[in-house]
Amino acid sequence: MLKKIVLAIVAVLFLTAGILSTDKAVAAEEDKLKVAFALLWTIDDQGWTTSHYHGIQKLEEKLGDKITISYTEKVLAADAERVFRNYAQQGYDIIFGTTFEHMDPLLNVAKDYPDIKFEHCSGFKSAPNMRNYFERMYQGEYLAGYMAGLMGFKKVGTVATQPIPEPIRGINAFTIGLKKGLDEIGADYDEDKLNTVVWLKAWRDVVNETTLAETLIARKHDLIRQMADTPDSAAAACAAGVPAIGYGEDAAQYGATCALVSTTFNWGQYYIKAVEQVLDGTWNNTPYWGGMEDDGILMSSFNESVPEEVKAKVMAEHEKLARGEDTIFAGPLYDQKGNVLYKEGEQATDKDLLTMRVLVKGVSGKIPQ
Amino acid sequence: MMEDIVFIGQIAIKSSVAVLLATIGEIITERGGVLNLGVEGMMIVGALAGFAAGFATGNPYLAIAAGAMAGGALSLIHAFFTIKLRSNQVLCGLALTILGLGLANFLGRPLIGEAGVRIRAFAVPYLSEIPYLGEIFFQQSPYAYGAYILGPLAWYVMFKTRAGLVLRAVGEDAAAADAAGVNVAATRTIAIWVGGLFSGLAGSYLSLSYTPGWKETMTGGQGWIAIAMVIFCTWNPLRAFWGALLFGGLTALQFFFQATSIDIIPAYVLKMLPYLLTIGVLVLVTSSGKRRRSASPADLGVPFSRES
Repeated sequence: MLKKIVLAIVAVLFLTAGILSTDKAVAAEEDKLKVAFALLWTIDDQGWTTSHYHGIQKLEEKLGDKITISYTEKVLAADAERVFRNYAQQGYDIIFGTTFEHMDPLLNVAKDYPDIKFEHCSGFKSAPNMRNYFERMYQGEYLAGYMAGLMGFKKVGTVATQPIPEPIRGINAFTIGLKKGLDEIGADYDEDKLNTVVWLKAWRDVVNETTLAETLIARKHDLIRQMADTPDSAAAACAAGVPAIGYGEDAAQYGATCALVSTTFNWGQYYIKAVEQVLDGTWNNTPYWGGMEDDGILMSSFNESVPEEVKAKVMAEHEKLARGEDTIFAGPLYDQKGNVLYKEGEQATDKDLLTMRVLVKGVSGKIPQ
Repeated sequence: MMEDIVFIGQIAIKSSVAVLLATIGEIITERGGVLNLGVEGMMIVGALAGFAAGFATGNPYLAIAAGAMAGGALSLIHAFFTIKLRSNQVLCGLALTILGLGLANFLGRPLIGEAGVRIRAFAVPYLSEIPYLGEIFFQQSPYAYGAYILGPLAWYVMFKTRAGLVLRAVGEDAAAADAAGVNVAATRTIAIWVGGLFSGLAGSYLSLSYTPGWKETMTGGQGWIAIAMVIFCTWNPLRAFWGALLFGGLTALQFFFQATSIDIIPAYVLKMLPYLLTIGVLVLVTSSGKRRRSASPADLGVPFSRES
């Protein structure tokens, strides 16, 4: 008898844990277009998922009278296919998977539901009814690096996340910008050690983010570049009196008040575009990789310690990118050993960028296996 | 060079405090003959309660106390199931971890991103001026000083007092202890509760001192490391220092190697080492023939019932 009671109570405990993956419908009416999002983490993670949630809010604001939106939080790889299939069975018209790990599960479901549109963020596999989309965060990284260079920071410490092309591209763009800024102010620097990179090997890990930032600061790095989804490395820098640069969302809003600037995602503009295409029947599966020309990447407001002339120069560079003139990865560009990656007159193609697995000169540290 | 060693030492201590406190607590529980795998759950609940109390009142003492009490409260669930109902301790401990993680996750949502109390590092007068060692050991969070005292205290009580003798008797042979007039259920309940207090305290260190703020993933498996460390230090609170230092040292080295690009030992190997060493110690302890003196309490994990 007792054993049965115990088993029953244990079962209740497990169920309690199950409640936590929440599933919310923002509004529900039958005749509207049904839009669903699977989110990696909770909407208040202060980084990646928060930025997607802000996108969802913008979508709701703009098209709320024509669509109904649902989202599910904490959709991890193992559970993703079930979530997508569930949405498909409920007759959703367009389903978004918002993290890299959603790619294969989304593709599996897309094959079974050819009439539903599927959208995958940050991946490379597609189908006639499944499109890839992403924002060119490296443009923001480049501007942040340029700003840091103009301000004379020459020993930056980067708390990087997973050693895959997206962060690698960002680190490189940041370093290229940093070098450009330093060259413009005529600073002396050690050209092999401008930007030291350490890896969390996770998208978020608050304790290790803090420790890595502190380690870099103890090694006399003068600026901390946060790349994780959570602002804790920036916050640790602030606590130690070293400036930081935030990522994904405005780190200064989450207590990291020393953040000079943050590079932030603006997914809303894409979500509106994609859903409008479904509404008017022009949706196709051509991959979308937008950037500052669409305001897909935004710079937060600058910290008051950033000088006006630096801001002006950064914003001038921003104008160029917003006009679509992206020459960040133009040659001459060298790898860490000084070998030529791109000659004068050459430039990295989108394919090169999407598969980038090499660090440029100026980065100290290596890509873990 | 010396500067780097001091820094690695500082980070090693800083990274080991939570594991150390939780390990001491779990040793007390297991010495009483109860295995509690809910350390991770109690830690995260302690982290949340500590942060929430600090956020609400702004009082650091209340925050620390709330963290410990929350861990203690959760541990009483374990006590009820394993002692009163004599249910499977492994299963119940796992459920406790899941419950703790879920509960903290659920209740803590409104607190994400809020700034609460920050318990800062505090240099102990005189002691912190000792070259190198002072810098490493005595420029830490007050939690570290608490751990320096609580470890030896736990050892003293456990091995030098009557209360400790009762605790160990219950863990080694509950039936014999019962025959000698010891209240097994009460002793075990207290052992579980004290273990819970320590786990809660360990959790509050993370949310109040290490990375002030609330994040639902902040314990990051440190509770499980603490459980491994109990075996590594063969149920001795003094050896818990070595276990925790080993863990902290490996953590610190892993970051330091990266930050300096001196990659002598790959980070993955460093991350694995605490577990490998635990298995190694387990093999050594169980094969050395000194089992009765140094290893696991004989009645660990065995529910006590007078009828059987």
